[in-house]
Amino acid sequence: MGALTLSLRDTSHMKLVRTIVRAFKFALQNFWRNIWLSIATILVFVLTLTMINLLIVVHVLTQTAVQQVEDRIDVSVYFKRGTSEPTILEAREYLLGLSQVRSAQYVSSEEAYTRFTQRHRNDSSIINALSTIESNPFGGSLVIQARAPEDFEFILEALNNPQFGDAIEQKDFEDHERIIARIRSVTDRVQWFALGVGAVFLVIAVLIVFNAIRIAIYTHREEIGIMKLVGASNSFIRLPFLLESLIFSLVSTLIMAAILLPALQVLDPQLSAFFGTASIGLTEYVFSNGFLVFGGQFIVLAALSVLSASVAMSRYLHV
Amino acid sequence: MLYLNEQEHTTAKKKHQDMIKLHRVHKEYHPNITALCGIDLHVEPGEFVSIVGQSGTGKTTLAKLLIAEERPTRGRIVIGGWDITDIHASQIPFLRRQIGVVFQDFKLLRQKTVGENIAFALEVAGEPRQRIRDVVPQVVRVVGLHGKEDRYPNQISGGEQQRVVIARALVHRPKVLIADEPTGNLDAITAHEIVDLLRKINDFGTTVVLVTHDKDVVNRLKRRVVTLKNGCIHTDHKVGKYVLA
Repeated sequence: MGALTLSLRDTSHMKLVRTIVRAFKFALQNFWRNIWLSIATILVFVLTLTMINLLIVVHVLTQTAVQQVEDRIDVSVYFKRGTSEPTILEAREYLLGLSQVRSAQYVSSEEAYTRFTQRHRNDSSIINALSTIESNPFGGSLVIQARAPEDFEFILEALNNPQFGDAIEQKDFEDHERIIARIRSVTDRVQWFALGVGAVFLVIAVLIVFNAIRIAIYTHREEIGIMKLVGASNSFIRLPFLLESLIFSLVSTLIMAAILLPALQVLDPQLSAFFGTASIGLTEYVFSNGFLVFGGQFIVLAALSVLSASVAMSRYLHV
Repeated sequence: MLYLNEQEHTTAKKKHQDMIKLHRVHKEYHPNITALCGIDLHVEPGEFVSIVGQSGTGKTTLAKLLIAEERPTRGRIVIGGWDITDIHASQIPFLRRQIGVVFQDFKLLRQKTVGENIAFALEVAGEPRQRIRDVVPQVVRVVGLHGKEDRYPNQISGGEQQRVVIARALVHRPKVLIADEPTGNLDAITAHEIVDLLRKINDFGTTVVLVTHDKDVVNRLKRRVVTLKNGCIHTDHKVGKYVLA
């Protein structure tokens, strides 16, 4: 009887690769043998991802809507008639020196007159009333845009500067902050709703993976018993189940990408038309950050499903 | 001999000559249920030992202890110089790749062919494809199943199924083969064929432990017979016969 010397573990890289490839083969077999359960699992995964992507879309739309409103907010400062152009331009220079001011456009009295007559050219009574006044009743004005809505309070305060404060006849400012707050309130609610539904789907998805792995362990109990008998390592027995949960996550993410990308291409022009912009940028964003968007979703989904599969194995796979 | 590493190999050479050594092995499933009561058993390399006894005398428990499916309550178990009494769970697969196991209920995968069932033991151990291609036909010839590699278990007889199980147990070239009631589901003629096969494997140098209650099989072998009674060794004869304990 010759002596048999053996090592406790064969750690060669090739053996590791072979083990992973074979475990992957077993994982695919599990996937196909329980195809209906696999489809149900993937369906719930896709629904979960849909909710997560809905959250992303709502977030982008909120940002766009708020940006649109913010871009349109301005304050018009009307100067008294007879205020010299250099005084108004001096006020403009002063305002542009403030970090809170994005732009300050000068509208001369002549331009204001022209704009007024253009705007009311179909209203003869107004045009007639204007013609009764011999001179130009409009003074020069400044149209000021702030960097953020909350900056207007500071800008309006700054306009009380004694250098030109007395020359100002009127400050026309709407409470845009209230409008923005309302937009944010509505979109916040939509986001919370989507987040809640997404969380519920996520919990269901985790439970379904748990059940799928439990059933897979049950249907393969004979094979697992034989594997143990002929010397399969514990990790080799566990690996196919973990890989199966990764397959669920990968297939779901790919299906989500296949649904979302064409859907965005259809939606984007319509949303852009609605917001009156060249492009909302959703499609460009998802295409340019596809790896990040879908990779991130896959990682979260895979982590949760592997965790769920591990719990199922520790409970039902006695190796 | 079976060793974890070279150091243990050297130590084993000095201390052990037995392939299997059980020292005062007790197994209790419950304080009131004693399966084995302080068994001392030594099996030399290349021996063919039949473990016999009535049902419930602890034969199968003994077989399970040898493949680390059960742990002894007390005592020590050494196989090929490797003390497996407190073997860690992660080391069990390495032990089982060196001990062939044959059971009464075959344990074959129905959806795999004869060849695939045999190859399965090598696949799960991470053996290279080329080695699988080389080894499987060899063991198929040894067990006399040449030409039936592509058949499924339900397309071959019970005796042939047991041969597949033996072939699967041989692919790792084990130094010990443990057969627990391998003839239990077979008719007398087929049972004798299986025992002849086990004897042939033993002639190649493999230590065989046959757990059985088949009187004809034991008497025909004319090898060492250990009789268990109430979990204890009742008789141990070098060339024994099945004697009802």
